[in-house]
Amino acid sequence: MSDAGAAAVRVGARDISRRFGDVVANDRIDFGVAPGTIHAIVGGNGAGKSTLMRILQGLDRPDAGTVILDDRPVRLASPADAFAHGIGMVHQEFMLVPERTLLENMILAREPIVAGGIIDRAAARAAGERVAALAGAKLDWDMRAADTPVHLRQVLEILRLLYRDADVLILDEPTAVLAPAQIRELIALLRRLKQEGRTILFISHKLDEVMDASDVITVLRHGRVVGTMRPAETSNAQLVELMVGEPVELPTVTPAAAQGEPPLLSLEGLVARDGRGLKRLGPVDLALYRGEIVGIAGVAGNGQDELVACAAGLGTIESGAIFLDGAAITRAGTRRLRELGIGYLSADRAAEGLCLAASIRDNLIAGGEHRPPFSRAGLLRPAAIRAGAERALAGLSVQFGKLGDAVGSLSGGNQQRLAIAREFGRKPRILIAVQPTRGVDIAGIAFIHRQIVEFRNRGGAVLLVSEELDEILSLSDRIIGLHGGRITGELPRAAANLERVGRLMLGEAAA
Amino acid sequence: MLDTLIHSALLMTTPILLAAIGGMVNRVGGIVNIGLESMMLSGALVAVIAASASGSVLVALAAALLAGAVLGLLMSLVITRLEANEIVVGLGFSVAVAGLVRYLLKSLYGVSGTLDPQGVVMLRSIEIPFAADLPMLGAILSGQDPLTWFAWIMVPVTAFVLYRTRTGLRLRASGAAPMTAHALGLDPLGIRDASTVFAGAMAGLAGAHLSIGVVGLFNEGITGGRGFIALAAFYFGRNAPWRTALGALLFGFFEALQIRLQGHGVPAQLVQMLPYLIVIIVLTGLGLADRRRSAAIP
Amino acid sequence: MTSAMAQMRASSLAGALIPVVLALAIGAIVLAATGHDPLSVYRLMAVESFGGEKRLQATLSAATPLLLTGLATAVAFRTGIFNVGVEGCFYLGGIVAAGLGFWLVGWPSTLIIPVALLAAALIGGLWLLLPGVLKVRLGVDEVVTTLMLNFVAINLTSWLVNGPLLARGSANSATPAIQKAAELPRLLPLTTLNLGFAISILLVLLYGCWGRFTVAGFRSRLAGLNARFCRAVGIDVSSLVIRIMVLSGLIGGLAGGIHALGLVHRFVAGFSPGYGFAGIAIALLGRNSAIGIILAAIAFGALASAGATIQLFSDVPIEITQVLQGAVMILAVAKLGFGRGRGTAL
Repeated sequence: MSDAGAAAVRVGARDISRRFGDVVANDRIDFGVAPGTIHAIVGGNGAGKSTLMRILQGLDRPDAGTVILDDRPVRLASPADAFAHGIGMVHQEFMLVPERTLLENMILAREPIVAGGIIDRAAARAAGERVAALAGAKLDWDMRAADTPVHLRQVLEILRLLYRDADVLILDEPTAVLAPAQIRELIALLRRLKQEGRTILFISHKLDEVMDASDVITVLRHGRVVGTMRPAETSNAQLVELMVGEPVELPTVTPAAAQGEPPLLSLEGLVARDGRGLKRLGPVDLALYRGEIVGIAGVAGNGQDELVACAAGLGTIESGAIFLDGAAITRAGTRRLRELGIGYLSADRAAEGLCLAASIRDNLIAGGEHRPPFSRAGLLRPAAIRAGAERALAGLSVQFGKLGDAVGSLSGGNQQRLAIAREFGRKPRILIAVQPTRGVDIAGIAFIHRQIVEFRNRGGAVLLVSEELDEILSLSDRIIGLHGGRITGELPRAAANLERVGRLMLGEAAA
Repeated sequence: MLDTLIHSALLMTTPILLAAIGGMVNRVGGIVNIGLESMMLSGALVAVIAASASGSVLVALAAALLAGAVLGLLMSLVITRLEANEIVVGLGFSVAVAGLVRYLLKSLYGVSGTLDPQGVVMLRSIEIPFAADLPMLGAILSGQDPLTWFAWIMVPVTAFVLYRTRTGLRLRASGAAPMTAHALGLDPLGIRDASTVFAGAMAGLAGAHLSIGVVGLFNEGITGGRGFIALAAFYFGRNAPWRTALGALLFGFFEALQIRLQGHGVPAQLVQMLPYLIVIIVLTGLGLADRRRSAAIP
Repeated sequence: MTSAMAQMRASSLAGALIPVVLALAIGAIVLAATGHDPLSVYRLMAVESFGGEKRLQATLSAATPLLLTGLATAVAFRTGIFNVGVEGCFYLGGIVAAGLGFWLVGWPSTLIIPVALLAAALIGGLWLLLPGVLKVRLGVDEVVTTLMLNFVAINLTSWLVNGPLLARGSANSATPAIQKAAELPRLLPLTTLNLGFAISILLVLLYGCWGRFTVAGFRSRLAGLNARFCRAVGIDVSSLVIRIMVLSGLIGGLAGGIHALGLVHRFVAGFSPGYGFAGIAIALLGRNSAIGIILAAIAFGALASAGATIQLFSDVPIEITQVLQGAVMILAVAKLGFGRGRGTAL
């Protein structure tokens, strides 16, 4: 596959190990990427993919072993070092300065200058146009990064790597924030870059894309390489088996018909703005019935955050109304909504869903500490709190040491189970679940899905917002598309497939 | 009458302006420098000692600049490398340096509070002959000392550097998005430290202006809270050089006015309160403007 | 106590002691560089602070204002509010208490003391209402507003004490002395240790119980750890922030009132040699906990009272204590391997 004279391994790892305290993130990893290929790294959460990528880009250093560049061992001391060797990375959380323009973001740290350190704006623009033409993209260079749509921000990140003459591009979960059509565009771009001789290394857990786009796949599990093969030599099922270690039965979820009228939760003409005053949602009409799961499909940044915030009482409603069982709750605060039976599973459990620095016990009673039996006359009652916490945890197989342990010490999957335990412990009627399985291991995902379905089977209503289309497709009774803050259409499960949902996400009719 | 007021307003503005520009650059780089007062104080002391020892104004200014810069570096390292909270560190430096200065005056010079050595050379004023006769412009342009000229020249220079040069872009990036800067190969912590050193140097010069530019001696109260007024000025200016200069000028004007009005029934302290109140009003106004522009912050 | 808990306690203790030790080392360098022997100076200070009943009382008396300024700051820090405005509240509380102390002529102790102290607390609470509301309604950073308000308060009281409230015939800026009835009774004869100390210790201990056993204490702790989480689970963070801010001001104002009625017996210019700012160091060192505040306040009180006396017995200037205090503040928030930055509730 390599030309005579070129290195066999453009970038790779030899015997790399890295641990953080007790956790072994990378365990003697050996792998190599041939130049001019697209190489995918797959693995479940905690498999060590991100750690390995950070090491390859000089953001971290291995405890043992070495990075290989052009068949030779190399020590990368910093990202500047990596860039000097032609390696660049597009991180999952985009590395952009929000207040600066796209052009400034692109040239940052490698600015074209004239004498005295003055930035040569004309040269910068010319360079920008050049790499944009290379990639077949078009950008408004003077737009602020914060105002630019997400997929264009990603394009900029890639262009920035080209501008810095990176021939090895590392992409961390590049398709996480894209709609299906945008994913296709990205894969086409990657293929174009490959044709030019660049080397692409990307992390993904979306096996369809991995099978479609890559030339070679490496599977990681528990920090070790457990398989390297070409797509033609394997299948989705086999990849999952390698990732998890045993065949996992993902529960097949049978759709349930909504039980009776009228809707439990009803949004009418809802309009909301984001924190900066831009109109993000609305007007939107949505009805949620008992005993159903409604999935909201949309690319990140199309109003889902505002929709969820309004329903959970955390956002500001500019106009429109929300009704719960016929009663208007539009102006009600979070506490009232929770008392009325609306539960909320946040997308960001570290910053919002849980208090990582507080104990398990504290997290379980938070929000309910003022009510009996947890307190009386303003004084806390420790025994009742302990009993309540134990009750909430029962049946949710959370692995923990003691109730007094800090939640931050739990694994991602256990943290999410804890958050679910708290929400279900309040016996909600409605559950707003946002990215419920993000950062959770495969067994945990199956467990959480079962919990959500059983809640629905008991008569609960679920508003599911997720960027994992698989999750939306497998769990939802109805799928509603959200684009530009407006509802684009609705599909019952029987009629839904990836193509149609993808079109809804981009604002096209479901056809 | 107006001429002397203008002249004295500019004189009062200079130390505030110098420190405010330093503080503004520091803030753009990502650190709110509460310790400007301490850097000013040390600059004032060092300038007097160096001026009397060397007989050279240049040496005195260099020494003051250096003293402020070293303090700035020290403070910055504690913040960037030891990840200490910048507000607390700034306050701690203010307290510690104030105590250290008084301690050294007593220990090394045997004086309590005031150091008035022999042979302190002062900043000379620059007379511009034909301008001096112009009605108001004369008071502005002529008879100012070199540091005042330097301070005002630094305003457009800073603006230029911030908006048109590589250094400025990197500084702004390091302040706003340090992780991004690091991922692109920059050294955001080092850039922050450099901005604090600059702030310290400017504050040191500000202190020198107070001691060898105006009174010719050192007194432990010589800075009189101007480090915090400079803070008020760059909060007023919100990271924009010309607005910051406007704030400094406003506060300098208040000070000159207050001295003039003493004995006319206007209490000095109430005028002294004004800069701080103005900051609160400005921040409130900004908050209201933000709120009107968007939905209320939940 | 499990080994995990014991380890946490040990590292907390180390986190509080290491800054003190390092600060002493820095002080030692300063002393040595100016020709003094650090060890003998420190020994002298230790003796002057704790050697004997009289000296101990002086230390505790010096610690009295610090207990409450530390508490006022800790209450706010614990809730995630970066309030540095206790100094201003101290000044305002002091002048109000002193003012009532000499105005309410003929009132009995049992009336004038509570009224004056209450008024002192109230003015402090009202003073911090504005920054609290600005923070909650407009998102204005409370650090800047409270910092600025300090200077406003200091200048305001300075004007008052030099003008309208100036004691007639007085050369230096001071109000008239408060009446005998308004003076806080001494706890022991011939010392400056007064009822204020008892009140302060009591309040700190009450705070400890409040933090551990009440709903409000629970909410305040959680809000300090993660305010966004609290909002999501239905805790009203906005009203909590305002209430705690006002509480912080109440305690700060009370501190000033106690200082005026208990020790100084009037209000003077330079009423506070930075007690409010020292309170920040105390809250940080004590990690916002009741026991920590008490220990840190006593340590700083020892420093202050020893510093005053060593000036008489040696030629070491008292300002070395300021250097130590500033160094402790800086080191208390530096991440030296133990403990955390702003301090959290235990």
